[in-house]
Amino acid sequence: MTDRAVTRDADPRPSPGVPLSARRRGVAGWVDVRGRRLGGVAFILNRITGLGVLFYLYLHLVVLSQLAVGPSAWDSLLKNWFLNPVFLVLDVVLLAGLLIHGLNGIRVALVGLGLVVSRQKALLGAFGTIGAIVLLIGTLMFISHGG
Amino acid sequence: MSETVTFRVQRFKQGDPASHYDTFQESTDPRTTVLDVLTRIRRVEDPTLTLRHSCFHASCGTCGMKVNGREVLACVTNVRELGTDEVVVQPLDNAPLVSDLVVDMGPFYARFNAIDRPLVRESELVPGSHPAEGIPHAERYEDCIECGICLSACPIAATDPEYLGPAALAAADRLREEPRGQQVPPALRLADDPHGAWRCHVAFECSEACPSNVDPAGHIMSLRRSLIGRRWRALRGEPVGAER
Amino acid sequence: MTGRVDELPEPTGRSLPLPERWAPEQQETIPGVSWAWQAITGVLLLVLLTLHMIANHFVVQGGLRDYQQVIDYITNPVILPLETLFLVVVSWHGLLGLRAVIFDFGLSARAERIVTRVFVAIWVVTVIYGVTLLAILVTHR
Ligand code: HEM
Ligand code: SF4
Ligand code: FES
Repeated sequence: MTDRAVTRDADPRPSPGVPLSARRRGVAGWVDVRGRRLGGVAFILNRITGLGVLFYLYLHLVVLSQLAVGPSAWDSLLKNWFLNPVFLVLDVVLLAGLLIHGLNGIRVALVGLGLVVSRQKALLGAFGTIGAIVLLIGTLMFISHGG
Repeated sequence: MSETVTFRVQRFKQGDPASHYDTFQESTDPRTTVLDVLTRIRRVEDPTLTLRHSCFHASCGTCGMKVNGREVLACVTNVRELGTDEVVVQPLDNAPLVSDLVVDMGPFYARFNAIDRPLVRESELVPGSHPAEGIPHAERYEDCIECGICLSACPIAATDPEYLGPAALAAADRLREEPRGQQVPPALRLADDPHGAWRCHVAFECSEACPSNVDPAGHIMSLRRSLIGRRWRALRGEPVGAER
Repeated sequence: MTGRVDELPEPTGRSLPLPERWAPEQQETIPGVSWAWQAITGVLLLVLLTLHMIANHFVVQGGLRDYQQVIDYITNPVILPLETLFLVVVSWHGLLGLRAVIFDFGLSARAERIVTRVFVAIWVVTVIYGVTLLAILVTHR
């Protein structure tokens, strides 16, 4: 061993007083996708669509209470509101959200169990393609059925 | 030959109410790296600029920082290849800021070292190497250079201060794969926690950002699989023993 | 402390304190069980939600059912249990998901327990509400 003298602090941490929680990006670290890659975008889209669909679920449950009021309440709601083109657009948004969340959810479930890990990017691409196709077909069906 | 690039460098000193940016005009040649420019700024223009670096060749892991919004090792980041007239340099995220581009790596090291994974990979001798006389064989170190880049890129580390983090979880999985005579269960106990392997949401940002091909996210997933396997065996009353 | 290289103490890194939180007694009973539920109910939902969307939007003339069509649909002996299961699973999955998002902020163990209880309560109320609605529709044909 050399006989070079070295100085060393007993505690090697540069600033022991700094709390471990200091300077986190917070929610900006979820939603700010600048500099992030596909997986990070998939993560935040999954989160936003999941929460959005949860919000829709409760809206949906509240609206369904009109069924308990009786036939006239429901049928007029249907005629005056839900068969309106604006709601058609909202239906497409809902379908898109469900597809993004559902397909990405399958990816997260598979990869998260330690399966297809090495091919997870290909999986993301494949699911993106499937989602786009189903969304297109669904939109066409909404248009031909409703309105 | 020389081309001028604007560097916007984030500055902060203890006691400052907030960080700000200083701008420097720097000439570059085709081989100039971001770290070249930063050390030049410190030498020539502003000796108060603080940054960490040591090896200049992607081995020591001290020069991790954000360049144009992405986590990189400054020493191997070519300025011209960035392709922008303005280069924005910021410290890593999700770690306490000490000064300018220097963050406190203490919390990161505390987690990483708690896993206690040996540094030398005995399983992989460098293929085709011819060790000098008297040296029995070449040794290969673990890939992780402990730069903290993965923690900065991770969306979950942005909110959960107790997340064990990609590098530490990857280290736990490496230990599981190759114990090298070391105890594995303590590391798995740390990893098998809501703030460990189960906190990950599969964004894979760590694996994308890692400059050393560690693939932390892939390791987190294989860690989870083996944890599920252990739980399954325990449920059926089989010995959990085997670590893989 | 000053000394020669060969006199230096063992690296102290290994004994650096982890956050106090890493105490096993504060762990969720089986770590990862929430995530497993999220994945299992997610896969179930893939089936139930696809059925729900097809049955309620894509095969209906005019796009949505009027009152009588809803009653006819919901009293179908195959549909009723499926829609009930859908209600139970989708609210479970969604609330568990929101809980996971909240937990990502790194709450104290106590706060986590409170959040969990509140969410179980919301889930129970949701299911009771939905089942009541279904019961009203099925009996008021
Ligand atoms: C179509 C089938 C669905 C599948 C396959 C699915 C799958 C998943 C999976 C695997 C996760 C975990 C994500 C993670 O750990 O990062 C998740 C999260 C979530 N899901 Fe779903 N899901 C589906 C439908 C729904 C629906 C209908 C709702 C709304 C009620 C919903 C609401 C949520 C929420 C709020 C989260 C939490 C978001 C997050 O952790 O970022 N999901 N889903
Ligand atoms: S896993 Fe990669 S990014 Fe993370 S500390 Fe190690 S080398 Fe750096
Ligand atoms: S200076 Fe060592 S990794 Fe960049």
